[in-house]
Amino acid sequence: MSRRALISGLMPFAGLACLVAWPLVFNSPYDLRVFTLVGIYSILVLGYQFIFGHAGALALTQGAFFGIAAYVTGILGAKFGWSFPVTFPLSIVAPVLVAVVVAIPVLRLESHYFALATLGIAQVALLIAIKWESVTGGANGLAGVPGIGAFGLVLPRGYPTLAFVWGIAGVCALVAWWLMRSLRGRAFQLMRTSELAAMSIGLDTARLRFLAFLLSAAFAGIAGALHAHTLRVVSPEVLEFHVMVTCLTMAVIGGRTRVVGAFLGAFLLVQLPEWFRFLEHYYLIAYGGALLAMIIVAPDGLVGLLDRIGARLGLRPRHTLPAPVPLPSAAPEDVTAEVPLLSVNGLTKRFGGVAALEDVSFQVDRGEIVGLIGPNGSGKTTLVNIVTGLTPADAGEVRLMGQDITHDPAFRIVQRGVARTFQLIELVDDMTCLENVAVARLTKLGAGFGRSRSPTEVDAPFGLAKRQAAHLLERLGMLEAAFEPAGNLAQGLRRRLEIARALALEPRLLLLDEPAAGLNEIEQQDLAIRLKGLRTSGLALVVIEHNVPFLMAIADRLVCLNAGRVIAVGKPSDVRADPNVVAAYFGAQPADGLP
Amino acid sequence: MRYSWLTGLAALLMLSPVHAQQSAPAHVGIPVLVPITGFLSLEGTSQRNGAVLAIRNAPPNLRVQYDVVDTSVSPEGAVNALERALDRGSVSAVVASMLGTQMLAMLPIALERKVPLITVSGTAQITEMGNPYVFRFFPGDDVTKVAHVRYAVEELGLRRLALVYQTTAYGQSGRRHIVENLAKHGLSPVFEEALEVQVRDMLPVLSKAMAANPDGILIHLHSGPTALFIRQAAAMGVGIPIIAGSAMHQPPTAALLEPEELRGVCAEANASPVSGGTPEMERFLQQYREMFSVEPDGFALGQYDGTMMVLEAVSKGARTAAEVARALADMRYEGIAMTYKSDGRGNMAHSAVIMCFDGRTRVPKVVKRYDNITGALTP
Repeated sequence: MSRRALISGLMPFAGLACLVAWPLVFNSPYDLRVFTLVGIYSILVLGYQFIFGHAGALALTQGAFFGIAAYVTGILGAKFGWSFPVTFPLSIVAPVLVAVVVAIPVLRLESHYFALATLGIAQVALLIAIKWESVTGGANGLAGVPGIGAFGLVLPRGYPTLAFVWGIAGVCALVAWWLMRSLRGRAFQLMRTSELAAMSIGLDTARLRFLAFLLSAAFAGIAGALHAHTLRVVSPEVLEFHVMVTCLTMAVIGGRTRVVGAFLGAFLLVQLPEWFRFLEHYYLIAYGGALLAMIIVAPDGLVGLLDRIGARLGLRPRHTLPAPVPLPSAAPEDVTAEVPLLSVNGLTKRFGGVAALEDVSFQVDRGEIVGLIGPNGSGKTTLVNIVTGLTPADAGEVRLMGQDITHDPAFRIVQRGVARTFQLIELVDDMTCLENVAVARLTKLGAGFGRSRSPTEVDAPFGLAKRQAAHLLERLGMLEAAFEPAGNLAQGLRRRLEIARALALEPRLLLLDEPAAGLNEIEQQDLAIRLKGLRTSGLALVVIEHNVPFLMAIADRLVCLNAGRVIAVGKPSDVRADPNVVAAYFGAQPADGLP
Repeated sequence: MRYSWLTGLAALLMLSPVHAQQSAPAHVGIPVLVPITGFLSLEGTSQRNGAVLAIRNAPPNLRVQYDVVDTSVSPEGAVNALERALDRGSVSAVVASMLGTQMLAMLPIALERKVPLITVSGTAQITEMGNPYVFRFFPGDDVTKVAHVRYAVEELGLRRLALVYQTTAYGQSGRRHIVENLAKHGLSPVFEEALEVQVRDMLPVLSKAMAANPDGILIHLHSGPTALFIRQAAAMGVGIPIIAGSAMHQPPTAALLEPEELRGVCAEANASPVSGGTPEMERFLQQYREMFSVEPDGFALGQYDGTMMVLEAVSKGARTAAEVARALADMRYEGIAMTYKSDGRGNMAHSAVIMCFDGRTRVPKVVKRYDNITGALTP
């Protein structure tokens, strides 16, 4: 093992040693209390990373979940005298139940509407806490919350409470790490970067976001309960917006998606005001200045900064290429070969007064390559979006192997065997090529730490997915770029990578939106050869392309759209010479048809 | 001449150890943990100033060490500040935040570490928990609201009172005591509404209150909302008496209003330092102005008196924090604002005053004094 690899391998242990050493060195009751709070906030941020970091949704409910759990602990502990073994699970369940109720209307909302709606929920919780005096103690809150304990024994403050809180923080960290190291973790990464791409590989993004929301609520519940036990008081301040802002800042400063980022963010944000307290009135200026400096120096969070430093020192992890494994053979189809693979009948779509598609009909057979051409704005991409479920049709139907898929959600259509690529490439730039492809195996292989055979295996399906991804990369001639981040690739390789990801879905039908765009002639020839090679396994392709010579080389048939209508269908040479097609492109017929 | 000089020197040398032994100053640690940022920064700064001035005026046989630490407005911030202060050396007493939720969070630690908390918090609950280490030097709502209601009913003869209060702990506690005291006079508010601290437009609540045809308005709001309410009431020309809570007695609140807008407005408080009245009060006023270049309010004076009482207890021999707590529980202290004595639960202040503005100046006049309302001062 090289020296750098050794250093890289020892880094986590060094971090752990620092973590253990801190409370041993700084061991006054005050220091131990502050460090206990660091543990509590770490749990809160670990939870927030699920919805904000991994799912990419700016939820402003984490503070409310935290406060709700604190109030449940406070009410049950201070008013009813219930002990920790009862109040703790209930304090976790309560915010999760609230999250379930809230998720139904709120998770459908987009970006800033979602943020506003979640903020509204936090405000409602705060109002209830203030107004429902008989239960919540009103604006004064509830004092006399018991400490952590059971059967008449209460954990003393100081080391015992600290050890307990950090023990739970450790378990939470392990769970978060396990979950996000899995194939599902990569799915979250894809969803965060491009929801379109996530849907295109068959991910039910609404379900993923729901799962993240519930996890964030559960972790906030743990943190809120521990906070109430540590502070022994619950008051409306725990539901106020500053808790949410603190949590958000911790996540941003520490790092949105990495476990260690949650701990770093919590440590810094809890300790920093304490370090500056001696400045009296001016400590907030120093605190704000320090945070601003942090954001400038480490825009990707402290974890990102450490990564950059590690990369400069040559401490990048070394990768071993997994042995390629072919995808399993396709199962026999349960329909007769007479039924076309894809049948589009009378498809119509309007955007306001503009008819994007008007009574479009055509078919695609197994193993066939169909080129879809037409001038800009003719409706090609709209057609592909409707077939893949991203855009609903106004009228008409889409059938796959005879089954109506017109109203199926996008992820279901993918699961039925339809894959696609995009005109503007949708990849996760900071994910390796191997992982970009492997993530598409999620729906076929499943995922989760429950499937692991040992803690170090993390996620058995992920291992297989990577080996299958290696096979696909090899098939598309880019295995050597397996560990390269997708963002570093040239345009031609990015196109191929997107096709590899689509192939990982084991599709029956592959729709490619301008695959040759931006490629030089050699790359186009190479791509043409590879696409023709794909149909040997019975895969059908629909290729949108402006580059007619490229299509002429690979397509069995062409379908030409103009102003949302099919104006020609047939062999490429026939369509190319069709006067309507030529007129659509040039407005008048040139002597030798389309170039 | 030469002999007399030597004799003098010898006498000095002989006396000096004895003198040193008699006058070695006792060390006193009094951390000042108050909210000097956040929505209570105005009141918290008054607390700080009152405590710091008292420490500067400490008896000469005491050497006082103090740090001012901002608790902001979260219970967590207050608890951290308290733990930190207690870890940093010997502490005789702590000047503690006037924010009730912060006090409630600090109380278990004070009990565990046996350190008295000296505060001007008005939250009733802090002295209702049986904690022997809390001492409140500002009359609680059980005192001030008696004066508030009695003045309105007995002195002004009002019967149809509207009540506007804040949704905070301060507001909820004040509202409860006002309603209880009105009931003792056989009255109930003809209109009631709670306002968020963020509410800026008072016209809706004023309009609703006036629609109930009141003959007076009792308000129990924080400083900013109090000024906004009175300004908009003056602009609206409500023409009925407004008797405000203690926030109105604060000079910064009055500074937000024109004297004419204040005409006829009254307020309750523990005292009105800017109004002067006694030589001790005048001296306090002068020192405070010189030291901080601002006008003092009742919170500053309450905290001053409380801190001075602690210093007197130490000066009289209380050395440990527990001894200070015992002394505070037993002593009777003549402060500048009033006479202080514990009622057995840590409530030290039992008097309140009503002050009114005449419309010509922002300095109110004390028009009525209510002493020993709780009866705790009665031997």
